[in-house]
Amino acid sequence: MAASIVADILLGLAALVVLLASVGIAVMPGAYAKLHFVTPVTVVAPALVTLAVLVQAGLSENAGQSVLALVFLIIGGPFLSHATIRAVRMRETGDWRHPARGIKPGEEKEQ
Amino acid sequence: MTGFLITAIVMLGAMVPAGVVLCRGDLAASVVAYEFITSVAVMVLALLAQAFRRSAEFELPVLMAMLLFGGGLVFVRTIERWL
Repeated sequence: MAASIVADILLGLAALVVLLASVGIAVMPGAYAKLHFVTPVTVVAPALVTLAVLVQAGLSENAGQSVLALVFLIIGGPFLSHATIRAVRMRETGDWRHPARGIKPGEEKEQ
Repeated sequence: MTGFLITAIVMLGAMVPAGVVLCRGDLAASVVAYEFITSVAVMVLALLAQAFRRSAEFELPVLMAMLLFGGGLVFVRTIERWL
């Protein structure tokens, strides 16, 4: 009974995080601002869901696979965010590096 | 209905605003919305597997989490180089 209540609280928090991030994705202007709201969905909410599965199912195969999915999300999320920002910047300026550091946009485009 | 099922339904509803951005936003915003939706889909699959107590279906979120990384990188590199 107590485990069920704790799991429900964790699931409620996960749902709240996803809902707020969803509003952020819809409301914020531009890809740079929107991308900030992907991070809670790739790190915080999966961690809460995994904890809920752990609390509900204990140390089982299900919980292990949830942890595995969480690990993939946590490892892949920052790489993907960085690659996305880099691609958006290259689309806008032609080069991801800062122009004030001696490299003008488009001057030395990476292949 | 269990808490897992209700949470999965709420998360599916939370995909709607991101889906609107995916369809109507510019290319960069659409990619961000795609990343958001696939991340939520991983959780929804895990929640549904736990809600219906189907151990075999826990492999789907694991695969989806792996493919999210690879697929996202392919999209991003395509945008960076060719679009």
